[in-house]
Order: sequence, then C-alpha cells, then structure tokens
Amino acid sequence: MNNLWILNMGFVALLIGIGLYCLLAMKNTVKLLIGVEIIAKGVTLALVASGYARDNLMLAQAMVITVIVIDVAVIATALALIISINRHTKSLDVSKLTQLKG
Amino acid sequence: MHLFLLIGLVAFSIMAVLSRDLLKSAISLAVASIFLALVFFHLGAVYAGVFELSVVAGLITVLFITAIALTRNDGEVAESKRHRIVFPLFFLALAVLDILVMRKLLGQIPAIQGAGSGTFSQVLWNQRTFDLVGQVGAIFAGVLAVLALFRHDSPKGDSHE
Repeated sequence: MNNLWILNMGFVALLIGIGLYCLLAMKNTVKLLIGVEIIAKGVTLALVASGYARDNLMLAQAMVITVIVIDVAVIATALALIISINRHTKSLDVSKLTQLKG
Repeated sequence: MHLFLLIGLVAFSIMAVLSRDLLKSAISLAVASIFLALVFFHLGAVYAGVFELSVVAGLITVLFITAIALTRNDGEVAESKRHRIVFPLFFLALAVLDILVMRKLLGQIPAIQGAGSGTFSQVLWNQRTFDLVGQVGAIFAGVLAVLALFRHDSPKGDSHE
C-alpha cells in the first residue's frame, strides 16, 4: 500500500510539473486555465492517494469534492473574465494585456 | 492496470498542454479527467470518481468549449515554437528527478494506520460541515462574478465606473 502511495505521488509531481510549465510558458489565456486544471488534478489525486494509504478514504473524498466545487467556481469566473477581456482586446494573448502596466 | 491509468492521465494532460488547437486541448483535458476518475474508482473512491466524471469531465469541459466558441475568431495565439524542444527536455528532467526522489523514498515512509471514519455521509455532513458552508459561498461568489462580468451597460451610459 505504501509503495502504491509513492507511485501515485510520483505521478502527482509529474502532473503539477506539467501544469506549472503550462502556466509559465504559454501565452494563450485559455491554455493558462488548462494549466490550473492540470494542477488541480494533481492535488485531487494526492488527496485520494493519501486517503487510500491511510485508510481514511471518506475524509479524502469529502475534501476532493470541496476542491472540485471551488475549482468549478474559479474556472467559471476566469472563463467569464477571459471572454470579457477578449471583447475589449480582440485577442487571447496574455502578453497583450498591458493596459495596467505602469 | 493502475499504472496504465496514471500513464494515460499524464499523456492526455501533456496533449492538452501541447496541442495547438484549443478545442483539442479541451477535449484532451476531458479525457485526462476520465482517466483520473478511473484511477479514483480503482482506489475505491467512488464518490470522488463520480464527481470527477460528472463535474470536471462534463461541466468544466462544456464551460471550456463554450468559452472557446465565443472567442473562436480571436483564438489564434502564436505560441513559441521552442516548446517542441523545451517541453520534452523539461519533462525528461522532471521525470528523472521524480524517479530518483521516489526511489529514495521507497520503503522509507512507515505505513500509518488511520482511524476508520464512518460512512461518507457522516464525514461530509458531520465532520466537514464548515467545508459545505465554504462551498456554498464559493458557488455564490462565482455566480455573482459571472453576472457582474456579463452585465450589460445601461443605454444612457450612466453605469458605475
């Protein structure tokens, strides 16, 4: 059981690494949100794997549901923000959002 | 079986990041969610699996596809071509580091037995009640934010600045 936890944690690290790369390297705002989504997947996998390893799966699932619900609220707000910005700038390029630049 | 599901999850996540077409990215993300839900089912986390499948693979994908459709004409962003070279190198370095660290940890962490915590409904409604209040607050805040962002300005132009 402990080795399965370590295997899961290895993949959690890969998922969070891929998400961080996406956040740091991509310029498309929708792609940035996809990066956030991938990091959230890593976090939920970590919670369930830890719950399974500690034989406390019910608590882990309750926390995963909380994470998913908050994730939905964040993604909905961020996508609405992206559409709103897109109407003004006619672009999805994050490097063109320079209106607040000092 | 478990290993194949995890490899599928990571592979589709990489496809979601590297795909040039946003629609393909969104669909790859949905497939990655399906793999994650299967991992949850395999670990016995049925409720989390159902939530992942219905909310993340379903609702969030619909939200992504709607947003992509609404911004379709302006969706082309010239990403750097260096990703084709940089990402494999980054991923290889990350995987090697990951394997080294995890192999070092193998057998080092003692197994801890947690106390069984009753049924799912007992945990969710009795132990994590405050989380539910937070969830309601988060959904309410999200709805208000979306309403505020899609609010139409009044025709006289006297909206608050």
